[in-house]
Order: sequence, then structure tokens, then C-alpha cells
Amino acid sequence: MVLADLFISTLTQGFLYALLSYGVFITYKILDFPDLTVDGSFPLGAAITGVFLLKGVNPFLVLLISAAFGALAGWMTGFIHVRLGVRDLLAGIITMTALFSINLQIAGSNLAIGRDADTIFTAASTMALLGSMPLMMRKFIVSLVLALLVKLLLDLYLKTKSGLLLRAVGDNSTLVTTLAKDKGTTKILGLVIANALVALCGSVVCQEQRAFSSTMGTGQVVFGLATVIIGTTLFRRFGFVKGTTAVLTGSVFYKICIQIAISLGLPANLLKLAMAVLFLFILILGDRRKDGAENA
Amino acid sequence: MGMKKFISISMAMVMGLATLVGCGSAAGSASKGKEEAIPVIGISQYGQHASLDNCREGFLQGLAESGLVEGEDFTVDYQNAGFDDNITIQIAQNFSANNVALMCAVATPSATACYAAAEDKDIPVIFTAITDPVEAKLDTGNVTGTSDKLPVEEQLELIRALQPEAKTIGILYTTSEPNSVSAIAEYEEKGPDFGFTIETIGITQQAEVLQAADSMIAKGVDAISNLTDNNVVGVLPSILEKTNEAQIPVYGSEIEQVKLGCVASAGIDYISLGKQTGAMAAKILKGEATAKEMPYETISSFDTYINSQSLEDMGITVPAEIAEKAIEAAN
Repeated sequence: MVLADLFISTLTQGFLYALLSYGVFITYKILDFPDLTVDGSFPLGAAITGVFLLKGVNPFLVLLISAAFGALAGWMTGFIHVRLGVRDLLAGIITMTALFSINLQIAGSNLAIGRDADTIFTAASTMALLGSMPLMMRKFIVSLVLALLVKLLLDLYLKTKSGLLLRAVGDNSTLVTTLAKDKGTTKILGLVIANALVALCGSVVCQEQRAFSSTMGTGQVVFGLATVIIGTTLFRRFGFVKGTTAVLTGSVFYKICIQIAISLGLPANLLKLAMAVLFLFILILGDRRKDGAENA
Repeated sequence: MGMKKFISISMAMVMGLATLVGCGSAAGSASKGKEEAIPVIGISQYGQHASLDNCREGFLQGLAESGLVEGEDFTVDYQNAGFDDNITIQIAQNFSANNVALMCAVATPSATACYAAAEDKDIPVIFTAITDPVEAKLDTGNVTGTSDKLPVEEQLELIRALQPEAKTIGILYTTSEPNSVSAIAEYEEKGPDFGFTIETIGITQQAEVLQAADSMIAKGVDAISNLTDNNVVGVLPSILEKTNEAQIPVYGSEIEQVKLGCVASAGIDYISLGKQTGAMAAKILKGEATAKEMPYETISSFDTYINSQSLEDMGITVPAEIAEKAIEAAN
């Protein structure tokens, strides 16, 4: 029973944060763009969510609004990089830095959302469907549905013409140019989608925790990269597994590792070190495989 | 081929380890279940620094003073999040899954996370080191605790007594920290009553504190007063280096800051705040009261702490009536 509870709430965290992993998957894996905007667009989603939830706006609508603002942040990075010619890493840093102030400006200060405000886990429509369940199960199911729904939409999108173009930009950008398409525009589109997903994640996390803090974005890029790399490495040998499935698993795997560390009573000061070691271990395994394949 | 084998084996090892660890924790919690007579208190501390550590220590002392014996009446599962908001969430969920009898949360992010995770099972949450529980929405529900709201009036009185000529007090604070924002408002409201104007400089990150301190010194304030602002307090020693050079006395908000070299403080002793919290937790564990019906408490008595060395360096003489009751904080 105890383990089941722990497992369910850890899975819930994995599903919630998978939305961010999808975003990083698009920029890092598909576009080959190291996007640091994430540390700013994640709390942006949360800040917007905090403000609107306190105003009593429908929590599902708030998800969309947050995603829209995240898209704007992604567009900003894309614009700075593609149109103003700033290097990719720096473009992300500029937007992320600006967002730190913007987030505080939006929220005023760190926010707490009282139990009187509805979230996607307590809204009337959720209660109508899942009202008989305890909150923990509702959170689990809502986050599972969200993670799968977004994954499905993303998979469908990546098969469309626009999605294929996106993949081509990362793999072989000259091809895109020869197709008489503007690879800059495609890059911006990728950043827009990615950061919309990241802000959506921020919104969901804010609704789950009923809190926004200006520092909640710190380290989210690292988390995102870790889950993408863990996921894609774990599934490298299974060619048929989709990238989105892989990063979803990566996110869950990451949260499980943290939970195991906490359960074992590993001091917090060592938590990040343990993750770094695990990360390195998986990375080396992945690269060895690749080298092996290339050498063969 | 050899490489493939190596990978398969390593993978198996990782998975095996994960399972083993999983089972280990399962076995651990199962044995906990058998000794169900002993309730577990989950302590979630936001991070390690002197004031928060004192809260936790005081909390355990408070439980002991209420007649509860660790190992007999309760056991403690202590976790700290290393100032990482994401970790506070997982710590809280761990407590909830393990069905702890009570969660003790030290500082606001931990309290928010504990309350969110405990809501479902209605596990009582008791917090400490939160300035404004109303603002943090921790004033209703199965949650209670102690607030470390600063004694602003006493502090202003103290500064007036030690520096009769002073006109302006400078305060550095983090703009995103609701605790600091509400304290600033109180300073600005009560400052004029004691003949002070308040100069504030807001920062958003710890990296900005020292620059803000420089500009504060450049403004020529007569004294600087600290809040319990984590970003500012975190770099207090280097602030004091600058202010000592400029001969501006800095007043702390609690004993640890005076130990570090602030001249004086009308402040909180976090050990006694923790004790007060521990006493409340004991009532809940004994079934004498519930967190739902207990309102949160603020600390009832404040002490005056002084650092004679720092006072001497600043050329401040302490009036006899203050010296009498003041506690020397310097080692």
C-alpha cells in the first residue's frame, strides 16, 4: 500500500514533467538547438497560471493561456537567433534572463494559491468524471491523460509536412534550403512549440503545487536534457519506440531515481551528485553503442 | 559483440539495482508498518542554514519537553531539500506515501509542498519559520505552526536607543520574497513613529546583494537593518565587511546574525521558536488538539542580542537599561 502510493505519486511527477521533456526533445533532439529559454519559460507558465487562477479563470483555459505565453517566449528566442543573428545559446540566455524579471512583474512576488481556487485537479469537469477518487488518484489520472494526449498530438504533428520539415532542419538543414523552404522560420516554429510545452508544464506544476516561486525554473533545462538523453539512450536499441515515448519514460525514470534516493535517506547535498553520476553512466553507455556501431 | 554484452550486463545491473533499492525501501516501510505503535514525524527542511537548523533542533527539544521520547513515542524521518523546490515536492510525497503521523515543514516552500501532499490523506502539517502564514495560504485546513514574524517595533526602538542621532535606516530585501515585502511595509509604516526614514533596495537574486549593499552605503544611510531574507542573510559576512569599512552599523533580525558580527538585534531565537512548534506538535500527537483547530502562533517574547565587539568597533555605547537585559551573542 505504502509502496503503491509512493509509486503513483512519483509516476504523477514523471508525467507532469514529461511535458517539459517533450519541449526539450523538440529543441535539443530534433532541432539540435541548445535552448536555455526553458529556465525562464517554465516559471513563466507558472506565473501566468498563478495570477489567472487567483482571478478565478477556468483552470483548463489557464493551461492554454500559459502555453500561448510560452510560445511567445520561444518566438522571442527564435527571433533573436534567426533574425538578429545571435548565437543559439546566447539567444536562449537573453530570453531566459529577461523572463526572470517579466515573471516577477507578472506575479508581483512568489504566489500561494488558496484551496478556494479551482485547479485542473479540482475543477467541476474533473470532479464530474473522477470525483469519487481521492485527490492523489485524480492527479495521477489527469497527469497521465495530459502526458499521453500531448504525446499523441506531437506524434501526429511530427508526421505532417511542417513536422517533417522541422526534423529536416535538425538533420540536414541544406536539404531544407534546397526544398526552397526557409529554415529560419522552421527553427522559430520549433522553438515556439517547444516553449509552449514547457510553459504548459509550468502551468500544470503550479496547479499541482498551488504555488509559484521565482526560482522554480532553476535547473529545468538540465532536468529536460537529462530526461531526453536518458530516454533516448535507454531505448536506442528499440528503433520502433518513438522519441516522445522515450523521453516520457526518461522523465518518469528521473523522478523515480530521485525518489529512491530520498527513500534511502541520501542527504540532499549529495542528490545532484548521484544524478550526475547516473547521467554520466547512461551517457557513456549510449555513446559507446554509437561508437561501436560506427566502428563496425 | 563483447561491447553488446557489456552493455546488456550493465543495463541489467542498473535495473537490478533499481529493483533492489525499491524492494529495500519497501521492506523498510513494511517493518515500519509492523511497529505501528510508533508514529513517524516527517521533517522537511528547505535547506541547511543556521536559523533553519535551529528551528529543527528546537522542534525536537519541544517534543522532548512535552514528555515525548524519540524512539519510544515517535521516530523522525528528517529530509532536507537543499533549497530545491522540486525536491521539496518529492520529499513531501514520500512522507505522504509512508503515512507519517505528522509532517513538520521548516520554511515556506517545504510547507507548501507538504500541505499539497498531505491534503489527500489529511495528515496534519506543522510549519515553522514562516513569516506570514495568511499570505502563504497556510492559515486554514489541517495545518498550523509558528510564524517568525519580526518584532519590527522593538527593533526600531533598539536602533533609536543605540543611535539617538540616526535619521535613515537602509534595508536590502528580495522583491519576490513575500515575507520580506510585508516586513518592509511594516518598517515603512512604523519608521516615522521613531523618527526614521526607511531606504530600501530590492534585489531578485543573491548575486545582486553585494552591489545593492554598495549602493546602500553610497546613499549614506545611518544604519542598516536586516530582515530574515534568505538571499541577503546568505552573504551577510561580505556585507559586514563593506559596512564595517564604511562605519555603518548593521542590525540583525536574529541571534545568528549578531553572532556573525551585526551590532545588535531585537530578534527571534529560532531554538525557542522551534520549541514552541514542538510543543504544538506534541499536542497533536497526544491527541489533545488537532492542527485544524489550533491557530498558528507567533513568538511571544523577544530578546535583545548584542555583539560587544561590533558595537565597540562602531563606537556605540549601550545604554544601561538595555545592557542589563541584553544577551551577549558573540562567542
